[in-house]
Amino acid sequence: MAATGQSEGDQLHTVVSDHMSPRRILTGRLLIRFATLVLFAMAIVQALHQSGRISLGFENWRPVLYAYLFWAVAMGVSQVLIRGEQGKRALFVLPAALFVGSMVIFPLLFGLYISFTDWNLASPTGPKFNGLDNVRQMLGDPFYWNALKNMVYYVLAISVEYAIAFGLALLLNAEIRARKFFRVAFLLPLMLSPVAVSWMVGKSMLEIRFGPVASLARFLGWDSPSFFGTPEIARLTIMVMDAWTFIPFMMIMLLAGLQALPKDVLEAAKIDGAKAWQSFWQVIFPLMLPVSITAVIIRIIFKLKLADIIINVTSGGPGGATDSVTSFIFREYRDRSNVGYGTLLAMVYLVVIVIFVTTLLSVVNRWMRGVNEGRTG
Amino acid sequence: MKTEVFDRLMAAQVNRRTMLKGAAGAGAIATATAAGLGGITRSASAQGNIRPEMLRIPGVGVGSPTDRDWQKVGALTLDATKKNVASGEFAGVELTFLGLNNQNLHNFLFRGFLKPWEAYTGAKINWIDLAQADYNARLQQSIATSTVDFDIIEMGAPFEGDVLGKGLASEMPAWARDQIDMDDYVDYLKAPVGTWGGKTYRVSIDGDCHNFNYRTDYFENEEFAAAWKAEGNEGPWEVPKTWQKVQAVTKFLKGKKFGRFDANGYLDPLKGWGGFGFYFLGSRATAYAKHPDDKDWLFDADTMKPRINNPAWVRAIQDVLDVLDAQPADQINADPGTTGFQQFLAGTGSMLSWWGDIGSNAKTSDSSVVGDDVAFSILPGSDDVYNAKTGKWDTLASGPNYAPNMAYIGWGIYVMARVDSDAKKKKAAWSAAAHVGGKDISLWTAAYPSGFQPYRSSHFDIPEWVGAGYDGDFISNYLASQLDSYNHPNAAIEPRIPGIFQYYSVAEDELAKIYAGKYSSAQEGADRIAAAWDKITDQIGRKGQIELYKASQGA
Repeated sequence: MAATGQSEGDQLHTVVSDHMSPRRILTGRLLIRFATLVLFAMAIVQALHQSGRISLGFENWRPVLYAYLFWAVAMGVSQVLIRGEQGKRALFVLPAALFVGSMVIFPLLFGLYISFTDWNLASPTGPKFNGLDNVRQMLGDPFYWNALKNMVYYVLAISVEYAIAFGLALLLNAEIRARKFFRVAFLLPLMLSPVAVSWMVGKSMLEIRFGPVASLARFLGWDSPSFFGTPEIARLTIMVMDAWTFIPFMMIMLLAGLQALPKDVLEAAKIDGAKAWQSFWQVIFPLMLPVSITAVIIRIIFKLKLADIIINVTSGGPGGATDSVTSFIFREYRDRSNVGYGTLLAMVYLVVIVIFVTTLLSVVNRWMRGVNEGRTG
Repeated sequence: MKTEVFDRLMAAQVNRRTMLKGAAGAGAIATATAAGLGGITRSASAQGNIRPEMLRIPGVGVGSPTDRDWQKVGALTLDATKKNVASGEFAGVELTFLGLNNQNLHNFLFRGFLKPWEAYTGAKINWIDLAQADYNARLQQSIATSTVDFDIIEMGAPFEGDVLGKGLASEMPAWARDQIDMDDYVDYLKAPVGTWGGKTYRVSIDGDCHNFNYRTDYFENEEFAAAWKAEGNEGPWEVPKTWQKVQAVTKFLKGKKFGRFDANGYLDPLKGWGGFGFYFLGSRATAYAKHPDDKDWLFDADTMKPRINNPAWVRAIQDVLDVLDAQPADQINADPGTTGFQQFLAGTGSMLSWWGDIGSNAKTSDSSVVGDDVAFSILPGSDDVYNAKTGKWDTLASGPNYAPNMAYIGWGIYVMARVDSDAKKKKAAWSAAAHVGGKDISLWTAAYPSGFQPYRSSHFDIPEWVGAGYDGDFISNYLASQLDSYNHPNAAIEPRIPGIFQYYSVAEDELAKIYAGKYSSAQEGADRIAAAWDKITDQIGRKGQIELYKASQGA
């Protein structure tokens, strides 16, 4: 019954009757088999040539890329030849699928291979597979673990950012004077590039000799203001600069959530005699949880990429106190051309992020379910 | 000349109303504005000496040169090319030139210089402009992926190991060597710099070294002199000639006031600078580590064993640690740029190692408060020097050991080996390189904004500069600070081996930890650097690195 329905459904969208001769189907199969053969043959020959096992081969991998493009076109044509109307439908999806395969999956797999090589761009011998050497090096690399530890601090700082952002959102949601102006003004830091923030704030306003913040600190009685002089203060300063840039992002999301809250619930709470704090803690905050969690998780994802401010202002110092994983990988790549090890660090970081975010989402989901069940119970 | 240097020199000279003092200066401007390209060429030919006339393009004090001026200079200096190349000889040849676009100089100048050359020879040049920050990654990727897509490259000598060591460059033909007059180079830029395996590859267009910059007003201060004596310090209160004295002065100045401000001694940039920060520890260490009887000072050439953890380098690191508490607040977060331009020039500190730029800027920069209270010399020496072969500290009969740090060695023009298969293209590429790095044209790049410093003996002829309109005392002071370093017999020249900046970058990370007190001693930190360096050497290939290091030394 279902099959019939499907068939009828197909018929509805078929404009031309789709008669496929065995010869047409055979042509399609031969075409894709030929293209696949050409692609694999060229790839294998080139791989053997590159490894020095055979002299036959090309100067570079470009012909193999052309073979891949030929294969992709042949794949599309063969779909139409073999499957007719169904094949034509596949053509709508096939380019996107091939694009994802070419630009995401292949680079990821290639990156995985690179991460298990000793590839240093300065090495005359090129990349060589070195097994788990990079993993061992990572396990004993104090700079990487230090950067990971710093990331924990940076991520924890989001709780403070969230509290401030929520406070500002409540403020902007209230009936205050110049509300529209403040909404735009509070958003301005988000519009700034972190590199601009690094130079305007980190390198100019916080400059200890002539920076206005330093002058203010001196005026307030701090004799020798130093915003990056000790590990703790330097880390805190980086956190503040990053927070200043991104609190508006959380704030705007929370503000949107606040404005979407059902007015009747809030009015009911007021009629029931709830005070401001009770109204917030027992009505607004729980209702805002889904938005809050979305805002916090997106912020965490942003935070895990933290690098530009650190690279520009402290270069990870003093003594690695402000280093993030990304800023450390950047140095490993850009300054040291250490492609193999740098890629492994990035891959491991990717896995850590995926596990962390998945776990976080799972815990949050479970917690949200508990909250909802508690509320309904 | 670096742009900022030129701007400051000009600003200072205009401020002092000395710009048009000399009749030569006025005449220069009149000539430059009145004469067209042909007029200049004819005039120069008639005189037989194009240099005075060339230095008047566009004329000192009439603003920064433009593309029109660069083309004029290119046309005026074309005679050297004409001796080796017939008109239209390279018709149909296309060359690709990779260089920098810093401050709209470098490649921008080369374009102007080479336009008349293109018109004369018939060749065409395509340009690849790179920002400095992208340069290393672009070059390394081209080499590593065998995608060298340029025929001529502007490159710093530290990258010679990466390029020459891998056989990617074309050997300079004898006629090109004669055309650029390599004997005129200052001593340290002569072989083995620019050579590999006894073959010459580089047309130098720049020179680099670290100088010692100091505040004369500190060392002429009578209160300091009296306090120095009262506190029982050794010797008179004077400009330190050795690092031992630098340390003593820095400790002495701690907690003292100079006018209304805190007095500071030697400034150590303690934050990394993309590898360039390591040069500053190097400047402290060379007097300890570079023995006159030993070419090596950073690695053992025979084994590539790092010397960074030997007693000489550890002593230099310890010196930094010993005066950490005498540094200005927040110095831990000060990179060399901050230390030089925002501290020393702004009046903080009394001694500093830096490239030639600081000295000139200190004299002339509007943001400089040190005015004329600054002078310069070669880097301080040491009463004793470590002998890595005997493992002992030697005291030289000649007195303190001096070893100026030739940090970065300067830019050069190199032709890539991919032109070798085509004789016409090869000659065209070398002709273009020789034109850009010619003897006369180099005087112009030394005197006007170009991104390059003086690097030939002929650049230190003061009357030529005065004739162009420069203040004699001023330019003498500026040039002398570099010449003494350039020609020093015990100059410390960095190894031109592949990945040298990787070593520097790793060292910066570890030094940051040492300075932040993360290690129990300087030795422990230095051992970490040595271990990291060994790892890099093994990764790049120890055997190859040893061979390339020796080749870079001319062995």
